[in-house]
Amino acid sequence: MKLSTLLTSVVAFAVMAAPAVASTGDTLDIVKKRGHLRCQVGTPSGGFYNLDADGNWYGLDVAVCQAVTAAIFGDKKKMEIQSVSSQARFTALANGESDLLCRTATWTISRDTQLGLDFVTPNFYDGQGFTVLKESGITSALQLKGAKVCVTTGTTSELNLADFSRAHDLNISAVTFEDWNVRDDTYLKGGCDAVTIDKSSLAANIVSFPNPADHMILPETISKEPLGPAVRHGDSQWADIVRWSLFAMINAEELGVTSANVDDMRANSKNIDVRRMLGVEGNIHEGLGLSKDWAYNIIKQVGNYGENYEKYIGSGEGALGIQRKGTLNELWTNGGLMYSPPMR
Amino acid sequence: MATIKTMKKNAVTAPLSEISVLGWIRKNLFSSVLNTLLTFVTVYIIYTTLKGVWSWGIVDAVWVAENRRECFAINVDGACWAGVIAWLDNIFYGRYPREELWRINLGIFFLFMWMVPLWLPRVKAKISIGMTTVFLYPFLGGYLFAGGEKGIFMQVMLTAAVVCLLVNTIHSIIGVFSGRSLPEFFASLSNKKNICEKTQRNIFFGFLAILFVLIYVWQMSWNVERVPWTKWGGLFLTLVIAGIGIASALPGGIVLALGRRSRMPVIRVFSTAFIELFRSVPIITVLFMATTMFPLFMPQGFVLNKLVQVIIAVCLFNAAYMAETVRGGLQTIPQGQFEGAHTIGLGYWQTMGLVVMPQALKHMIPNIVGNFITVLKDTTLVSIIGLFDVLGMLRSIGKDLPWLGLHIEPLVFGAILFFLICFTMSKYSRHLEAKLSTNHHN
Repeated sequence: MKLSTLLTSVVAFAVMAAPAVASTGDTLDIVKKRGHLRCQVGTPSGGFYNLDADGNWYGLDVAVCQAVTAAIFGDKKKMEIQSVSSQARFTALANGESDLLCRTATWTISRDTQLGLDFVTPNFYDGQGFTVLKESGITSALQLKGAKVCVTTGTTSELNLADFSRAHDLNISAVTFEDWNVRDDTYLKGGCDAVTIDKSSLAANIVSFPNPADHMILPETISKEPLGPAVRHGDSQWADIVRWSLFAMINAEELGVTSANVDDMRANSKNIDVRRMLGVEGNIHEGLGLSKDWAYNIIKQVGNYGENYEKYIGSGEGALGIQRKGTLNELWTNGGLMYSPPMR
Repeated sequence: MATIKTMKKNAVTAPLSEISVLGWIRKNLFSSVLNTLLTFVTVYIIYTTLKGVWSWGIVDAVWVAENRRECFAINVDGACWAGVIAWLDNIFYGRYPREELWRINLGIFFLFMWMVPLWLPRVKAKISIGMTTVFLYPFLGGYLFAGGEKGIFMQVMLTAAVVCLLVNTIHSIIGVFSGRSLPEFFASLSNKKNICEKTQRNIFFGFLAILFVLIYVWQMSWNVERVPWTKWGGLFLTLVIAGIGIASALPGGIVLALGRRSRMPVIRVFSTAFIELFRSVPIITVLFMATTMFPLFMPQGFVLNKLVQVIIAVCLFNAAYMAETVRGGLQTIPQGQFEGAHTIGLGYWQTMGLVVMPQALKHMIPNIVGNFITVLKDTTLVSIIGLFDVLGMLRSIGKDLPWLGLHIEPLVFGAILFFLICFTMSKYSRHLEAKLSTNHHN
């Protein structure tokens, strides 16, 4: 515990020192000159950034990296994924080691304003929830009075749990763990009544249990966790490129453009919005400093937001299986928060 | 006058209770009521543990499955080795391109070829073989693993390494069959007898020069694709880091230990400060300093190779530890040895190189090998700073969607792997000790 305190302070110092180092360099020029994008993720996390058995990266956050790469180079393979420990994540971005960070980092005001980085826009809205056994009869987090709840120590989840317990006078006792594997094993063996962490991770956990059908996630969400890519502070053009690469994916879903029909849409669509986005008409690419077919390349090679959600997080084969319907991650047209400003 | 008559008495075999198995069991396991009780309890504990491990790991285990769900469907109580098997390439080679794996295998094969002569009793000039392994093999291995364009320096060193490997191999084969060294063998090919050493050497160097030119021309056509270090991983990466750490720790440690005992104040103070600084911080702090803090002091956009930073950190750290081991060894050498060496007119380096070090190093073998094993195990800490060494890979299995949550099996596999490697090292150290022992036991 002492060691981690030491490390935290070292990193805090490093991060404070960082903005002095960061400059308004032309990240786009540097990336183009280098010939590949350096995109930072963390140690593998189910659904967002994973290694497969052949050593390739995949996941919802990796898809954002691929989209930015495809927009710049027209080839989604021209990137290098950097896996950085969570202690060093913001420093590695600030000192220019990474061009972009996309690793389920929560957008908060202190991070956005004090760490020399800018969050672009969320690509996933998460929130902390609870998993319980179905047979326990608990159907709401408010019924957890006096319950023992398993939580990983040193995370915001632990603090949120304490706040929630106090606000609703539930007298929850937190059982803390350093390692999430041990936490889950304890829960499965009956060591606690519920597990709390971000809902996407809860879903990933349940999938990994021997009998997933025995467990359920309670409806309450006790925290806001907007997760999204971040770039170094001070290079607005670069931030624009990352932001609009992600918006292009969301916009494409809204317009019904998928990786399968994008060629047909580009050739035949009469819809002016589609034609503008795919570079048939207008000149939206000029302000970004990219080629005319930047958005086409993203959708052709990576797919729209919905496709990627289903593939990694949603109900696709082998995905995490988190229902998208009714969550914040739905398109705004379906009552969610996924909304792209107009591309014109 | 008394006469003493000696009479031979028939030897009696030792009583059965001393030599038979049953006697041993009775004596050691059931000598009293309490001991009998303890024996039964212990046997019961061992039996239940082994039975549990056996049925989880072997009997109920699932070896072939597409994903963890399938493992659960086949047998929910057993280990799911299928996940580990599917990830074997990642565990051993990391993210290295799959069609280029032959390069790692070849590099490791060359290392074995280079080092096998060190074990063969009839081969001469083992010191040169050992030195070339440390100084030349890295160029051959480095080129095979990293690939890409090679500069003129790299070309020369690569050629030197290949020449050396060839000569080593021929030398060892000749050594095994005839007990001669290669220069002696060349001399024996001509009919003249008693060729002097100088001529022997000239023939040998001529042979080397021809070989060098031939290989230099040949290697210009070699062309292997560059594999960036970010794709290195798994056991391969662990061995690269630990290997370099081990190879550099001993020379570095000897220099630092001698520096600490030096009479020159600047050197002594510097060595002492270095050793104490590195010994008083945990290795993980050194690693974080090297990878996180150090780049902050560099100009923006100046991106160092993280692997090189880590390797430098590991080398410095282990040199400091090794220095104290070596110093301990040096202190076992009695003052008389130094004085004796001075009396016969040996200077400082000769005293150290010919008299003190050979004795001291022999005393230190168990400690040195212990140190090496520690280096290997400490290397797994690099997974914390985001390198995918063998431990990093093992932990990633449980995050891969098909194998979500699989964490015990990979770690058990890792434990077996590490046990095999470390046990081999420690066995080899016992062998070295026995071989080098001069039986000066008082």
